[in-house]
Amino acid sequence: MFLDCRDLTFGYQGTTKTLFKNLSFKFENPGFHSLFGSSGVGKSSLARILCGLLRADKGVVDTDSIDSLLYAHNLERLPGWSSIGAHIERITPIHNQDKKELLIRHFGLSTHLGKRFSQLSLGQKNRINLLRYLVQDFNVLIVDECLANVDEKLRARILINIKAMFKDRLFIYISHNVIEIASYCQQIWVLRGPERDQQAVLVRGQDCRDQKCLDRSSLQQTMLEIMNAA
Amino acid sequence: MLLRRIYQFLMIYLIGLAILLMIKYVVNLSDYVIPSLGILLNTFGGISSTYAHDVFSTLCVAIIGQIFSIMLAFVVGILGRKTTWLGSLIKVAAYNIQAYPIVALAPIIFILLGDGFVSRLLIAAMICYFPLLLSVVGILAEPITEVEHFYQQTGRMRWQLEVKIRSFENLPKLTTVIAGSATLAMAGTIVAEFIAANAGIGYSIRIALYQSDLSKILVALFMIGITLSIYQGALEIAGRLVKSAWEQ
Repeated sequence: MFLDCRDLTFGYQGTTKTLFKNLSFKFENPGFHSLFGSSGVGKSSLARILCGLLRADKGVVDTDSIDSLLYAHNLERLPGWSSIGAHIERITPIHNQDKKELLIRHFGLSTHLGKRFSQLSLGQKNRINLLRYLVQDFNVLIVDECLANVDEKLRARILINIKAMFKDRLFIYISHNVIEIASYCQQIWVLRGPERDQQAVLVRGQDCRDQKCLDRSSLQQTMLEIMNAA
Repeated sequence: MLLRRIYQFLMIYLIGLAILLMIKYVVNLSDYVIPSLGILLNTFGGISSTYAHDVFSTLCVAIIGQIFSIMLAFVVGILGRKTTWLGSLIKVAAYNIQAYPIVALAPIIFILLGDGFVSRLLIAAMICYFPLLLSVVGILAEPITEVEHFYQQTGRMRWQLEVKIRSFENLPKLTTVIAGSATLAMAGTIVAEFIAANAGIGYSIRIALYQSDLSKILVALFMIGITLSIYQGALEIAGRLVKSAWEQ
């Protein structure tokens, strides 16, 4: 399984600014990967191009090896006419019911299922939104800031559990948290803007699968590489 | 909410009446031109039950016309919510037809259909339909991307779900629009009755006009206002009940 982008050029209509110019990168193999870059560099726009919500002016997005690519972002809301438990129940395929129960526990949402989406905190909203994507059938999931407003400890626990439960899936994790990306991701594509010669630089992350695996000096090295590339 | 609407109407009505009486006494007009408070109360006592029956008849026609308009507006709104050629055609047609004074078509309707119930109903429905359609199309054509994104991504989006999401998210707006269209439906029915019908409060106002009896017209206005306030208040309460039932 791979996600290959070649020579992507894109700019929003009505603006003179080009967001990507001949941008090329490739995510190979299942696992936890990342798109990183400073605010406004085009991470979310790129995610929208990858899932077909936006069309690139030029270039190729090769998703032939992928059956289902989903894009989750942190601005989403669940419909307000039912409780989140009823909503999750309704949208979970029968064969993923066990997975759903497990994820609810890992995500710390068991006590909130009777509530409406509007009654949740921001962190709870983001968690429940990510959870409903995880119970779908997908090969690739783009996770755009979906763990924003969640405390560090719970974020780490969630990421480790996702990695353990979905070993055969490809995740593209978009976040501004350098430590998190350096710690848990394999391939980190750092976006640098169209004015730079090389618009995307690949950094290898630590790809930790549990919280004990972190080696302080190699983590610092990876973080330094990411920051230098950005 | 209901009481507030009634208070508001009573305040406006009494202010209007006070201004009228002030003009009467300042300019020293006769009771024939502007009736005194005593004559007004006397007329109210004499014809209020007849006028209440007439207003009720008008309200029934207005409600049926409004229900018909709401249903039609939703059907056309659902068809016109898409950015297809049909959607664009419906929106452009609605904007253009809405700009035309529908009342001007009333004589044609009376010539073709006579002065009975159907003519009143049709004019009431036509007058409240187009503003209602514009609002409904506007609401249903506006995507709620933050809610719809998931359903689109997972291939679950159906037109029924799309309409449900957009209606739910805009329920307060829809309630206001429907409550507002009640005024238009009532106005449409009264205009129809005033022009040529043989029943309803519009018809009674026409007779009062021929008799130059301002006291009867003022009583009719009071009955219309109070009935419409109660009806609009009831619609707003119904909107709230629907929302709370939907949210439970």
